[in-house]
Order: sequence, then structure tokens, then C-alpha cells
Amino acid sequence: MRFALLVWLLFTASLIQAQSLSQADVKNLFGRIRERRASAPDVRADFQEQRTIHLLNKPIVSSGKLWFHPPNKFRREVGGNSPSVTVSNGHDLWIYYPNFKSVEDYSLGKRSPVDAIIAAINTALNLEDVESTFQISGTKVGNAYELRLLPRSPSMKRMFQRFDLKLNSDFVVERTDMVQPGGDQIVTTYSDQTRAPIPESTFEFTPPAGTQVTSPLGR
Amino acid sequence: MRMSDLIASIMANRRPLVWLGVILIAIACVAVLITRIEIDSDVINMLPKGFRSVEGLKMFDRDFEQTRELTFALRCQPQDVDKLEEFAPTFVDNLRKQPWCERVLAGSPMETPDGIRDLQAIAVPLLLNLEPSSFEQTISILQPQKIRERLHRLRMEIEAGSPRPQFELGFDPLGVIGPALKPFAEANAIEEEQPLTSPDRTMRIFLVVTNQPSLSAFECQRLMREVNAFRGRARDGWDGGPLDVLVTGRSAYVSEISLSMRYDIVATLGSSVLLVGLVFFIGFRRWIPLFGMGFALLLSCLVALAVCLTVFGRLSMLAVGFCAILVGLGVDFAILIFGRYQQARIDGEEYQQAIATSVAKLGRAVFFGALTTAVGFLALVLSGSMGFSQLGVLIAIGIFFAGLFMCTILFLFIKPDQPPQKHDWVFGIVKKYVCWSVKRPAPVLIFSLVLFLGLSVFGFSPVPPLRFEASVRSLEPRNSRASQALQAIMEKMPTRWEPVLAIVRAHDAQELHDDWQKISAHWSELLKAGKLKGFSTPAALCLSPDWMEKNRKSLGQVDFQLTRETLGQTLDAEGFSRDSFSTAFKLLDDLQTASNPNAPLPSWRKQLPKGAGWWFLVDRYFAKDPLLTTGFATPPKPVTMHEQSEQLGRELPVGGVPMILSGWSYALAEMQPWSHHQLLIISALMAIFDVSLLAILYRDFRLWLIQVITLAFGIGAMIATMKALNLHLNLLNVLSFRLVLAIGVDYGIYVVLVWQKTRELEHDVAGVIKPVILAGLTAVSGFGSLGWAHNPSLSGLGVACAIGIFWSLVATIFFTLPAMAVAKPKIWNEANPPPTI
Repeated sequence: MRFALLVWLLFTASLIQAQSLSQADVKNLFGRIRERRASAPDVRADFQEQRTIHLLNKPIVSSGKLWFHPPNKFRREVGGNSPSVTVSNGHDLWIYYPNFKSVEDYSLGKRSPVDAIIAAINTALNLEDVESTFQISGTKVGNAYELRLLPRSPSMKRMFQRFDLKLNSDFVVERTDMVQPGGDQIVTTYSDQTRAPIPESTFEFTPPAGTQVTSPLGR
Repeated sequence: MRMSDLIASIMANRRPLVWLGVILIAIACVAVLITRIEIDSDVINMLPKGFRSVEGLKMFDRDFEQTRELTFALRCQPQDVDKLEEFAPTFVDNLRKQPWCERVLAGSPMETPDGIRDLQAIAVPLLLNLEPSSFEQTISILQPQKIRERLHRLRMEIEAGSPRPQFELGFDPLGVIGPALKPFAEANAIEEEQPLTSPDRTMRIFLVVTNQPSLSAFECQRLMREVNAFRGRARDGWDGGPLDVLVTGRSAYVSEISLSMRYDIVATLGSSVLLVGLVFFIGFRRWIPLFGMGFALLLSCLVALAVCLTVFGRLSMLAVGFCAILVGLGVDFAILIFGRYQQARIDGEEYQQAIATSVAKLGRAVFFGALTTAVGFLALVLSGSMGFSQLGVLIAIGIFFAGLFMCTILFLFIKPDQPPQKHDWVFGIVKKYVCWSVKRPAPVLIFSLVLFLGLSVFGFSPVPPLRFEASVRSLEPRNSRASQALQAIMEKMPTRWEPVLAIVRAHDAQELHDDWQKISAHWSELLKAGKLKGFSTPAALCLSPDWMEKNRKSLGQVDFQLTRETLGQTLDAEGFSRDSFSTAFKLLDDLQTASNPNAPLPSWRKQLPKGAGWWFLVDRYFAKDPLLTTGFATPPKPVTMHEQSEQLGRELPVGGVPMILSGWSYALAEMQPWSHHQLLIISALMAIFDVSLLAILYRDFRLWLIQVITLAFGIGAMIATMKALNLHLNLLNVLSFRLVLAIGVDYGIYVVLVWQKTRELEHDVAGVIKPVILAGLTAVSGFGSLGWAHNPSLSGLGVACAIGIFWSLVATIFFTLPAMAVAKPKIWNEANPPPTI
């Protein structure tokens, strides 16, 4: 009898905590997100990232700050022992390594692997147009939402195997979990998000003097 | 006994014997045709000999594997681009399953794991093939300290978030593959400019190498039947909107051209015979002589084909036009001879006497007409083009026999007891015109002078110009699916202009390597100087036995055991997964094996898997004979002018390296003087021959001058009409001038010779003008019927000739005749004709 009661309680609790979203709910949810973000599209956040890549035995953990202006401008500063600054102005993407005094310069939109970085950030922080590029399912857990995004288009499939998002009650992304086709995984947790306008200069980058600039994928 | 009397006697009294001779000739010709016929549908063989670039094109076409390549393209609507991307692998799988498919390239091999693995497989031979100092520098990365430093740095960069170290370690875990492939990558940068997906993603290209045993027309037709059957089911699994499956390539073209040739022969010959027959019947109201004329023409065609097959071994596609041209030319003789025969019969002569009269009166004109035409066409032998030469010889032989047969065999089809035509309304009209223009020539002469002067001024003036299309496209069949597919691909894909081919053949591997090293170095300088836009060469793939032996000795000094241990320890220390670096350990094993001085030198040809996409690149550079190679140099601008080809011819070669420069654009630019001047010079030479012959024949300056002016008027009016109708010249219809000149001379000879000799204007002049008009109309019909041909060059030739012959005929009737009446007046006296001489 006690076991049956326990099962009933667990079942009820699960019903309360994880309520599946219908396609109409998902559509409605994204409509509200768009409404909320239309007035304040820019995002600034702190993040913590855990990357599991097949080349390494253990995940890499890093943290830093992020500035994002949709659809494709961002600045990402990573601290710690291996600091880096990644800046995209929408056309070019630079990754600056202060320890090595070197800069990598990539062109965006040429189906290069760095497009995945933009796509990941855009998907996580902008959620614009994701319904057309992903098949979306989700659950409502309390006041929060957990969404699973499966890419529809072959171009997205080349970047992601799946993309999980967790939104809080204010429709702000708290956590993303991205699995890439090769099995590599990146889990990112966002905190201290603000939506004040970001100056344009944030997304510009000039290599410091004495820095070696390379274009690993060509121009 | 005169020749005309002899012929008349034989035709009247020895008919069974003549029939026997005809049958024997026909059997012999058919036997030759059946046993030896081989059609050459290769457009390249229409180009002239004596140009190295043309020889290079033939070599590239014959010896390089890419001639067995078909290009497939899938084209979808813009809203279906994602579906197309998803469908592409299904399409490729289906392609690979086809029995005629040997290899498929669906994208850059660099973008696929298999492509990267294949490239890693050939790293060792390419590494050993590095220039020794570069090799020393590259191999130094295997020193323990350098391994530790590199992996530590890459680990730090991964931590910092760079995507680059992951690519680098995935592709080149030891750091030696990149430098080994650097020359290969540098030399092939030009290839990367041609992706296999259009920028708007609505088109995807798939390159397929087929396993067809030969490139013969029948083999290509067989292959394309299977390919088209595949196209019919290629959309299986596609769930989007309209999807076009396009195919182009050498086999597609050969198949279509050979099939269109069949259509062209049937359609043009059929319509030519029909139209000519119609004109003949209207003129003479007789069917059996018409049949006889067709038979004589067919026999002359058979004789010409049999002789040419015996001489040349095979016939060019140009010969397709031969039958219709010969019908157009040969029918003149038949009409003239039969017209005069009928006139004699109307005048009351008996069968044998009428034959003798017609041969006596017009045999000389037919002989000289055939001679000028034959010599005119034989001049094409000087063009240097196998196709043009064959056409010239074919028509020369054909026209000679046509003249002979029309003066003999034609009479086999005329019944001796057939009564003459009672009322000839065509002759009546012609007679009235001749009478009028002889009695009062001034009005006709003034009108025709004004008309032809106006047309000639317009025609010969440089503005507007008569355009010359030297493009190969002008020789492609009309509505060609292969051509349309190629155009659709060119529209969608980011195109670059065609590079210049540099074909190099060496005696051994070392010489080939040294040659390409020199060429690459020289072309690099041209690139820096802005004289080249880009280039790609097989330099990196041409192995140097000398360098490889030297580098192998250096490699033997590497302590591979220590390197292996250091790599393992460093991977552990930096936290790398050993499993992910298995290829690094494998590469160390391969390098150690290669360092063994007793082992054979590694070769990328043996190590590159048979199905690797890289073979598409390799096949561009290497012929079936690996010592025959080609490189590609892209000039700063498309090669369109002869001066550009001359400049490239000076700058691209390297001293001491035998090189053939080629490519379609380059070859056509190099041939511009030939196409613009050589054919014109030949035509001019033949025109000089014609006017000299006329001078000897007429021995009268005024008649000679009238004839020359008539020819000039005919050509001038022809050019004016072509300009007005926006018809362009191309490699084939440029011949039309020669043809029109030859036929125009014939018409002049018929009329002028009769005018000179006759004292019975109403009989002889009117009697020859009617056949000339009928002959002109049949020639216009014969050539005009070529307009039905699928091959635009052939149809262009037919239309141009029809226009030219029409104006030559008009000039002969409305200018030559009244001009002669003014220059050499004769009295029209129908009531009291003088006795026949």
C-alpha cells in the first residue's frame, strides 16, 4: 500500500514538474519570446562552459563574458590560464590569444566550421527563426522551459546533432547543451544577463601591435 | 566521230551494256561502303592541321581520362535547396550503383572523412618528394622537444577556444602531413575556385567517370541510352518541386551529334530530293528523267564516297552536308542537258540526234562548270583541316562524276519513242523575257545595275560588319540537351574562364619532375608579375627518384622508437586521448618502413584507393601514360585575341622544356588568322583561277568583264542579305562564298558560251536560260533544304548558299543577259532563223 502511494506521488509530481508542450504551445512560446526581445535585442551575460571533445580525455571548463547583438555580432572573452577574445562583426571573426600574441582571422558565411559558433550563439541567445531550422519539442518544468532542438536542414545538421535549451520564467536562456555530429559536446551556463544596448565598438577588433595574424581557413 | 555523236550512239544502241556497267559500278561502291564506312564525329578533326594547339587538343582528348567523364547536375527551385542537399547522397548512391559508373565526385574530397583519409594515405610519398632542405625542416618536427612544444601549444589553443587545433590534429596529428601536402595544395589552388554547388544552392554538380570501353559514336549512344534511362528514375526519393536532372560531357555530345547526323542526312536529303523533283517536274512535266537524274546523282555520291573512304579511311561529319550539296550542284547538269535534249526533240530531232545535240551544245559548258566547281572545292585541301579537305575531295569527285553521268547515264531513263512536250509554258515565258531583254536591254540593265550596286555597297561596306563566329558552339547541334545542360551549369556556377593547357611529355619520372619544377617556378614569377591570374600543375605529384632517395637517407637517421615514446608520453601529459591519435602512430610506422633503403620507393599511385575522389584531380593532370601530363594556366583575361595567344606562347614556355600550349580558347585564338585570312586567301586564289579560266574560255574582254561583275554582284548581294537577316559566318558556312562563286561561274559559262556561238537566239539562248533558271531554283531548294539540319553549321551553310545562288541566278538573268545584249548585240529573228551551225 505504501509502495503504491509512493508510485502515485511520484507520478503526480512528474506530471506537475514536466508538462510536454504541444506544437501550438511551442509556437506560442516563441511568439512571446520574440515580443519580449523585440524591444531589447542586445544581450550581455556571464557564462561558464564545459567542452567535451574527442581529442581530450577530460572536459575543458572555461568561463567569461559575452556580448551579443543579433543576428551575428558578438564578443566573447574567456579568462583563466588560456585566455582568449573572440569578436565577430558579422563578416569576420577574430580569435585573439594574448598568451601567444596571435590572432586567427576567419571569414563568416563560407560554410566554414566557425559558422557553427555564430549559429550556436544565435540559437541560444536570439532564438530568431529557430522554428524554420529546427524541429522543436519541449516540456514545461515548473515555470521554466526545456526545449530540444533537432536540426531540419542539412547545413544545420553538419553543425549540430541536437541542441537543448533551458529557459527561465522570463524566457531567458539559462543553459544550453549542444552535441556536435562527431560527438563533441558543449554545455554552457549563462548568468547575470542584461539587455541594455551595446555600443558598436564592442564588436570591432584591431589586432594589438606585435601580434601575429593568421587565416587558418584562407580568405 | 565527234564525242557527242559517240555518246549518242552508245546510249541509243548499247543500252544493255551501259546498264551492266552501271550495275557493276554501283555494286563495287556499295561493297566499299559496307566494308569500310567509319564516320568521324569529332569536332576537333574539323580544325586545321599544322597548329600545335590543335595537336594538343587532340592529345588531351585522346590520351586523358577526363574524356570519359560525364557531368550530372541537379537543379531545383529556390524553396527546395535544403531538400536538394538531403537528396544529394541518395542520388550519389544511385549513381554509384549504375553498371556504367566507375567513380563519382559529389563534393570536394577535402570535405569528407574519406577524402581526408585518402590524402593521409599518400602523405609519405609526397613527404619524401619534398625538396631536400624542406624535407629536413619538416622532419625535424619529429624531434622529441618539438613534439612536446607543438602538442602543448595546441592543447592551450584548444582550451582558449580555437577551432583550428582540432582541425589540425584531426588531419595532421604529427605535423608532417601539412608540409608534405603544401606543394600539392598550392599547385591546386585554382581547382578550389570551382565548387560543385551553385552559390544560390539550387544546383549541385556530380562528376562521373564511366567505364565505356571506347568513345566511338555507337558506344556513346549505347551509354547515353542507359544514362537517359537512369535519368528517368533519378528522381526516386525526391519529394520537392520540379527537379531537373541535366547531363553533359563528351559522350553526351558524341551521342547527340551522331544521332543528329542521321536525322540531318534523312531530312536534308529527303527534302532536297523532294524540292528539286518538284521544280524539275514543273519545268519538264516528266517523271522518269527525274528518277534518272536522282539515280545518276546517287551513283555519283556512291562513287565519291567509295573513293574518299578508300583514300582517307574514315569520313568527317562534314561529309553529311556533301549529299545535299552534290544534289544541289549536280542537278544543274541534268536540267541543262535534259532541257536542251527536250528542246531538240521539240525542234523535230530524233532520239539519237537529240542526245548528240544536247551533249554537243552543252557538254563543254558542263565540263568547264564541273571543272571550276571541282577545282574550287579541291582548294579546301589547302585549308589543312581534315574535315574541310575531305569535303573538298568528296565534292570534287562527286561533281566530276555527276557531270559525266548526266551526259550519259541520264539518257538511259529517257524513252527513245517518247513524243516531245507539245506546249511548254515555262519556255514560252522565258522566251518572251529573252526576246524583250535582247531587243530593249537598257531598262532591265539600268534596274539591275541600281539594285545590285546598292546591295553590293551595303554588302561590302565595313558597317555593319558581317560577324564571324569562331566558337565551337556554332558547330553544336541545335536543341542539343548536352549543350543546354552545359549552358545551364555555366549560368548557375561561378565560372572562370578556360585556362590554357600546357602539355608536357617526359622520357622518365625524373625528367618529368624536373620539367614541372621549372615550369612551376617560372609560372610563379608570372603570377607575381600579374601576367597570370592563377595556375595549377602536377608538380607535387611528379615524384623525383633523386630527391626521394636523398630524403630517405635523412629519414633513416630519425629514432622512431624515441619519437613514438615521446608522442605517447606527451599525449598522456597533455590529457589527449591516445585513441584519437592512432593515425599518428600509424604514420610513424609508415615512415619507418619508408626509411628502409632496401624497400621500394613509395608511390602515391599505389597508395591512393581506386575509388578516391582525388583521382578526378589526378586525371586532369595525368594521361593514361603517366609521363604525359598537363598543367593549367589562367591568364588575367579570357583568351579571345590572337595577340593574347601569341603573348602566352612567348611567356608560358620554359627553356629546355618541350611544351604544347593548347585549350579550346587558346587554339581558336591561335587560329584566328587562319579562319579570318586563310580561307579568304584560298577563296581569292580560286576566284583568280575562275576569272583566268573565264578569260581563256571567252577570249573576249567585254564578256569576261560582264561575267566578273556578275560574280561580284552575286557575292555583294549575298553578304548584304546575310547582314540584313543577321546571319553570321562560322567555321563551316564561310565555305558558302566558294560555292556560290563556283555555281555563279557555271551559270555564266552556260549563258555566255551559248551567246558567243549561237545565231539562233530564240532556240539556244532561251533554250539555255530556262534550264539555268530551273537549275538555279533546284540549287536554291537543294541548299535551302540544309536549313532543316540540326547541325547549325550545316544549316547555316545551306541557308547562306541558297541566298548566294539565288542572287547569282538573278544577276545572271537580269544583268548578264541584257549586258551582253548591249556589249555584243545580236539580232532576234524568229521568223527567218539562220541555219544551225
